[in-house]
Amino acid sequence: MNLSLALQIQNVSPDVNLLLILPELIVCTAGVIVMMVDAFARPRQRWMTGGLALVGLVAAMAASFWMWSGWAGPREAFHGMIVLDELRLGFTFIALLVSALTVLVSMVWVEGENLPAGEFHSLLLFATSGMMLMASGGDLVIIFLGLEILSIATYVMAGFRRTDLRSNESSLKYFILGSFSSAFLLYGIALVYGATATRTGLAGTTNIAEIANRLDVSLYPPLLFAGAAMMLVGFGFKIATAPFHVWTPDVYEGAPTPVTAFMAAGPKAAGFASFLRVFVFGFPFVATVASVQGQIHAAWLGALVVLAIITMTIGNVGAIVQNNVKRMLAYSSIAHAGYALVGFVAAGATGDPVFKSEALSSVAFYMLTYAVMNLGAFAVVTLIARSGDRRTDFEDYNGIGFQSPGLAFTLSLFMLSLLGLPLTAGFMGKIMVFRAALNAGYYSLVVIAVLNTAISAYYYLRLIIVMFFRERTTSWSAPRVPASVIVVLIITVLGVFYLGLFPNRVLDAFKTRPPAVMATR
Amino acid sequence: MTRFDLRDYLPVLLMFVVAAGFAVTNILLTQLVGQRKQTRTKLMPYECGKDPVGSARERFSVKFYLIAMIFILFDIEVIFLVPWAVVFKTLAGPEYGLRNLVYTEMMVFVILLLAGYIYVVKKGAFDWGERARHEAEAEARALEDLRKKELAARRAA
Amino acid sequence: MYVHLSWYLALSAILFTVGVVGVIIKRNIISMFMCIELMLNAVNLTFVAFSSSFRDVTGQLFVFIVMTVAAAEAAVGLGIIIAIFRNRESLDVDEANILRL
Repeated sequence: MNLSLALQIQNVSPDVNLLLILPELIVCTAGVIVMMVDAFARPRQRWMTGGLALVGLVAAMAASFWMWSGWAGPREAFHGMIVLDELRLGFTFIALLVSALTVLVSMVWVEGENLPAGEFHSLLLFATSGMMLMASGGDLVIIFLGLEILSIATYVMAGFRRTDLRSNESSLKYFILGSFSSAFLLYGIALVYGATATRTGLAGTTNIAEIANRLDVSLYPPLLFAGAAMMLVGFGFKIATAPFHVWTPDVYEGAPTPVTAFMAAGPKAAGFASFLRVFVFGFPFVATVASVQGQIHAAWLGALVVLAIITMTIGNVGAIVQNNVKRMLAYSSIAHAGYALVGFVAAGATGDPVFKSEALSSVAFYMLTYAVMNLGAFAVVTLIARSGDRRTDFEDYNGIGFQSPGLAFTLSLFMLSLLGLPLTAGFMGKIMVFRAALNAGYYSLVVIAVLNTAISAYYYLRLIIVMFFRERTTSWSAPRVPASVIVVLIITVLGVFYLGLFPNRVLDAFKTRPPAVMATR
Repeated sequence: MTRFDLRDYLPVLLMFVVAAGFAVTNILLTQLVGQRKQTRTKLMPYECGKDPVGSARERFSVKFYLIAMIFILFDIEVIFLVPWAVVFKTLAGPEYGLRNLVYTEMMVFVILLLAGYIYVVKKGAFDWGERARHEAEAEARALEDLRKKELAARRAA
Repeated sequence: MYVHLSWYLALSAILFTVGVVGVIIKRNIISMFMCIELMLNAVNLTFVAFSSSFRDVTGQLFVFIVMTVAAAEAAVGLGIIIAIFRNRESLDVDEANILRL
């Protein structure tokens, strides 16, 4: 026993580098602290938890900014378990931003609904740490672990209004389909682990960079295909691509609105982060198609093209027939996953590092713009839905345009941005993703995506028309807008214009840079 | 392959002795030291805390599920302690010299578990307290009444 | 006795399939949940089989993590199921139809 163990760990140097997981550590610690404060504070003091959560998130943002500014080239720690590259930092920032905005949206809401604020905020922080691990994991173990930390916390958050059957059902459906898809992902990981054993007698691996090296010397190539397919299904469920999207509308409709805002923006972005990492880096492009690696690459790329087309179309067509705003936004989120997949395909299709980096950053930028406008839209929907999430149908929006002009105009702005009107963030996001796809030569895919955007105009504009041009039959009293939600609306509105007008700074930050040392020389 | 030697199993035997001794001592001590107060609830046949008679389809207190769930979680965390304990000696030895690192890591893990435990206690998951006891006693009284009525009915017949 | 790796893989593939089919055709939430656990354990079997065949601990490490995750999932899942039962008194998924699909 001791002998075999010693053989396996003989080349151990504990590659511990806590600085490389600093943002994750901060968020986790903040989560534990919030939990403890919740346990010890008197019920009157539980509002503090929201503030503490915000402090933790801002500190983590500062830590990741510090990592970004002290850039010395891509690095890894814990024997490749954690990697630091631009892909990670971009998505870490998105996760933190989504979480901070969700805290701001939910701070007052959670008190108003008489829900346990401390539990909500600590779950949110744990979910955020899961998202960050999904972006930073260089090993399938970490990605799986991050995914589960995220998912388990989100299952609970979806069912947070415990006495409401809709919330219960949403949580149940999310739980069943979420763990179902996790099992698929996990089986894929197991098969890849088995398949990456080499003919030279090396054991299998779950390290993504190592997997890429082993593809052509794999002992059981068919298992590689099966494993990659299983992982594709697992990730497909998580980011709600089309054949695996059926849970999305139900879950998004039933969950409390701030949680829906979080689920649509955060887990989707994190899912894209690890989806990109596993497929673009684990099964990378190769020039010779005849090799095993080339075949796998062609296979997953082809599958993703099909998925992207189906996802966009089903999302947009499904959104047209909805009468509930939350369901409409759920279908719209499916459609947006489809647009982001276009960028994903572009990132996978090219071997040129410059184009690849551009495509990767375009996907990250797309998820950022989507997160900003989506959170803004859901913040307004939360306000209009009032306590108990009762008013989320299109009829409830009849003619509120001139009675609550502030809310109606902001919501209209977000709708136009989701549609992709020039000058808004949504437009720039789409342009970047489509440009990457054109560079990679996917002309017909881009044409289909543009046609889909045209379809989507119907339902986004419909909400605006309902708000401004329809007669209201029932009475309307303007909802009280808490200060924290005003902050969210200001941030998101400014974000929509900033990302729409000056996208270059953010895009550059998301791109792969040469190491700082090289740049100064 | 090493030769089979019964002496290698001495620690196991010791473990058995200690376990049995602990149980016996505890029972003896409670017999000797503990005070005895016989309530109706205590004299009921023991059925895992439930009424021994009545419909099996009635609702359980949600506390049972809560305890069960907490048990699952804390129980499974132990699987991380076992492999740690197995390799600790090797890793802490001069060959690797990772004593501090390995020890600290497990302590962090245990402290996190402890934080969870404190949270659970503070949230009152283990609090069967006054009200739970009153409820149980009320149940026992109702049961007693039922039995008396049945007896009376049988006598009348 | 030596059992070839492929037998383990075949067994775990069968178990996984049984789990998948179970989740799809079962109508009781608890049964569906048990089928999901079956899927996870099938994966564990795959990991252990590979791990022992390669004489490598990575797979076993994964099993530890999967087991804990499965336990956490079980705790949360049972919590959700109890919440839904307290509000409705039925565990049939076909009755979970307030939100249409």
